[in-house]
Amino acid sequence: MHPRLNRRHTLGLTLALAPTLAGFNLPAWAATPAATAAGKTRGSQGLSLPPMPLRERRLGNGLQVISVADRASATVSVQVWYRVGGKDDPAGRSGFAHLFEHMMFKSTKNMPNEMFDRLTEDVGGNNNAFTAEDMTAYQNEVPSNHLERLLWAEAERLANLNIDQANFDSERSVVQEELRQRVLADPYGRLFNALSVENFSLHPYRRPVVGSIEDLNAATLDDVRSFHRTYYRPDNAVLIVVGDFDPAQLDAWVDRYFGPLVTPGVGIPRVNVVEPERASDRRVALQGPNVPLPAVAVLWQGPKAAHPDAAALQVASALLSAGESSRLNEALVYRAQAAQAAAFAAELYADGGMLAAYAIAASGQPLAKIEAALLAEIQRLANGPIGAAELDKVRTQLLTSALVTRQTPQGKAGAIGRAVLLRGDAKDVNEELARLSAVSAADVQRVLKQMLKGKRVTVQYTQAPGAASPVASQATPTSAGAPAVAASGAKP
Amino acid sequence: MSRMTQPEAVRTLMSSDSNPPRSTAIGAARHRLSQWSAAAALVLAAQTGFAATPGVDAPPLPQPPRPVVVPAFAQQQLPNGLTVVAAPRHDTPVVTISLLVRAGPELDPNGRSGTAAMTAGLLTKGARRGKRQVSATELAQQAEALGGTLDAATGWRSSTVTMTVTRPKLAAAAALLADVVRQPSLAADELERARAQSLDGLRVTMGDPGAVAGMAARRVYWGDSAYGNVATLQSIKRISRADVQAFHAAVYRPERAVLVLAGDIEPAQAQALARQLFGSWRGTGKAQPPAQPAAAKPLAEALALIDMPGSGQSGVVVAVPFVAANAADRRAGQVANAVLGGGYSARLNQEVRIKRGLSYGAFSEAETHPGIGIAVASTQTNHPNASQVLQLMRGEVERMAAAPPAADELAARQATLIGSFARRLETTGGLASLVIAQLTQGRPLEDLRRTVDEISAVTPEQVQGFARQHWQAAGLRGVIAGDLKAAGDGVASLPGPLLRVPVESLDLAQPNLGAK
Repeated sequence: MHPRLNRRHTLGLTLALAPTLAGFNLPAWAATPAATAAGKTRGSQGLSLPPMPLRERRLGNGLQVISVADRASATVSVQVWYRVGGKDDPAGRSGFAHLFEHMMFKSTKNMPNEMFDRLTEDVGGNNNAFTAEDMTAYQNEVPSNHLERLLWAEAERLANLNIDQANFDSERSVVQEELRQRVLADPYGRLFNALSVENFSLHPYRRPVVGSIEDLNAATLDDVRSFHRTYYRPDNAVLIVVGDFDPAQLDAWVDRYFGPLVTPGVGIPRVNVVEPERASDRRVALQGPNVPLPAVAVLWQGPKAAHPDAAALQVASALLSAGESSRLNEALVYRAQAAQAAAFAAELYADGGMLAAYAIAASGQPLAKIEAALLAEIQRLANGPIGAAELDKVRTQLLTSALVTRQTPQGKAGAIGRAVLLRGDAKDVNEELARLSAVSAADVQRVLKQMLKGKRVTVQYTQAPGAASPVASQATPTSAGAPAVAASGAKP
Repeated sequence: MSRMTQPEAVRTLMSSDSNPPRSTAIGAARHRLSQWSAAAALVLAAQTGFAATPGVDAPPLPQPPRPVVVPAFAQQQLPNGLTVVAAPRHDTPVVTISLLVRAGPELDPNGRSGTAAMTAGLLTKGARRGKRQVSATELAQQAEALGGTLDAATGWRSSTVTMTVTRPKLAAAAALLADVVRQPSLAADELERARAQSLDGLRVTMGDPGAVAGMAARRVYWGDSAYGNVATLQSIKRISRADVQAFHAAVYRPERAVLVLAGDIEPAQAQALARQLFGSWRGTGKAQPPAQPAAAKPLAEALALIDMPGSGQSGVVVAVPFVAANAADRRAGQVANAVLGGGYSARLNQEVRIKRGLSYGAFSEAETHPGIGIAVASTQTNHPNASQVLQLMRGEVERMAAAPPAADELAARQATLIGSFARRLETTGGLASLVIAQLTQGRPLEDLRRTVDEISAVTPEQVQGFARQHWQAAGLRGVIAGDLKAAGDGVASLPGPLLRVPVESLDLAQPNLGAK
């Protein structure tokens, strides 16, 4: 639901108004391999997801290396995923991990600014990067004869990043424009930016990954140096290579370029804040200067990505909002014509989660009616019958989506990255679908009933009276029955 | 944000010395980015005696390349005129099936913009299957039970319905697709539902400054010709069931249609499936003749300002002439657009984002029509920067005509085009979209085999020649949509004449945007 923050704009990351599979990523979380025993991909006429032949290594300096050779492709994907994300933003520096991600495309000891574009785009490849709550990933895809160059360059920016004021000022401006485009210019950007602010009371997940204009302005070059030193080290990184390569040659290049990198003696600081259980329901009235149709979001606390209930929540999410025939679309958008869009998302991060049901009103429809309809549909799924065909549909959707995503080296590498960083094991790419397919109707109902027992935050998003200054403020939240939470400042 | 408007800071960022390199590769690194390429760096380092060692303080050398392999396309025509194209790709058990009708919004009836899109959208909202009328709900259930979605879309000269499914579900998906295309219900209640949703969607879009600037630029550039067609609240309200039925009857006909099957399928299987599901398809009534070539009728004013108080950013767009898909200089045009704004490292993004931090991204896209085309450069920026960004983008268009691109800059952008082409060949969805784009443009599929060579053959002089012929300053039209008060003096002092329209009186149906 949170648009992932990318180095460059990609379509499909803007707010998905229609809850279709297009915006529906293969669930990237879940933990227990226990459920896989029963895992058969039913509903797909015997078709299954072919397992990826994973090769795993760990270098002496702690770098984890995962590769899958696929000589049928003429391209290779080279990705480095770091265990650092928005939750690790320094105090008073929300948005810093993402700003830092942009700096990784600037000069290093042996590369000028934007050399990664020379090594990728200029030879027919591409690159991008994203920062999420728990991770920062750098993703390159190049014609396979350029593999060695990318390995050299990724090692180079891990070890030898240059940091200078002109580059920093320029990228800070770019990131602030990114914030304006995603949060301020998009009519629903303020709403989606506010959800984690409202959902988490203590954990740093409450700060939007994109940060705030003020915190971005406060960041300094020393912050950049310290952040690189602290988190960008071989034992905090996972190198993933998928596509056209010779395994022995790959290993030799990895040894040559990454082997000499030194891991510092000090440990890596980790967030260990435990988000307390929510004690009471709360309502928040959020306004924006340009809200053509009001919207409502209902938030419950969710489990960690590695929690055994994650798979059932993911299937519940698909039943509620994957495709036009999903429950929320069918009931709110199609039948009642009460909503322009309606969806449910299980946003499960490494340390905790957010379960969010949300809808944008159709013209003239009161938010109270839409909120009631959202809750009624979730209760109906939790308590009423779930047909075998409906569950089968979701299994087929998940299988098809996984096959489509894994057509390319880049798609395969992305699936591996999520498995490693959110579920702790690359092998889970070969198990996740079976685990999801094993989820039963009773599993779905158990996790939804549990969710509904929890306290919820309801965010109503409406047009502010008069036009506010779009530059000075992001939104004007007026919190009812809760400590004031400024979506604009987002300072915890 | 004031530093972005300080010329000194800008100069610093533009300076080639802003970033003193510390390595022995400095000989190359001192050059402006646009003149840099990795290969050139190595050559230069070697020639000038710097001891850059590939794999140590410079990138290792690339290995020998693998050629781009374009799959064999099998194209046939059924006796009823339906074109069938198979694009086999067997490494994943997935097939994308797409039915293209070569007609789109350029054929919308006068005053009823949105008819083509509404018709395509209604295809999936009810159809006769066997002897039974099947509802929208049931169609969605049937499609999604197969693992895909029935995606209906329209573009210029193109209406498509597409599904991607696993191989075992292909026959069922193809049957579903045939029924919604051939015998949709186009029911009155579904039209009302879709109309309400379209109107709400458009209300949301009208709050997005980037989208508003793009739609306005289209009208400003084309005037009242067919390609200026933009659906508005008023035009959507006028569309009747009879309009939709008439549009369907006139253009959803086998001789106008192409069935594409890309992925895990053999040509013979594709042909058999096509004959079985579409062999008996016949058009009824009078066929709609293809759209006549349209001319651009640009607004007299070179700039339109749309005031959107409270908007979060300004959308900035520059529209420039382009050529037809069958023009002799089409490849030069394609490459010229790539140099201008076709990628992260192209000139627009270099100048607007990378050097000055004024935007999250600035790009240009070209579209071609019979006899004519348009290229559109667009970005979003903080209001006070809008005028600077507009002038920068105009300047970059004009600079294309002033000098040919450097050889390495051109080679990089050619590689970008070729690489993005090659990546589309790697997925079933990409393959199907390539086929559809070719046939929509009236180009033979054989063109796809020549694409790499033709792009590679374009010279710097041809790029400059294209720009000199088509991208003269007088032909450019600009639009800024944003909070003009917050934009301040920069916008107020832009050279006139210009058109100024408050968003509440913006009328995208009028060539003058409804200006009083």
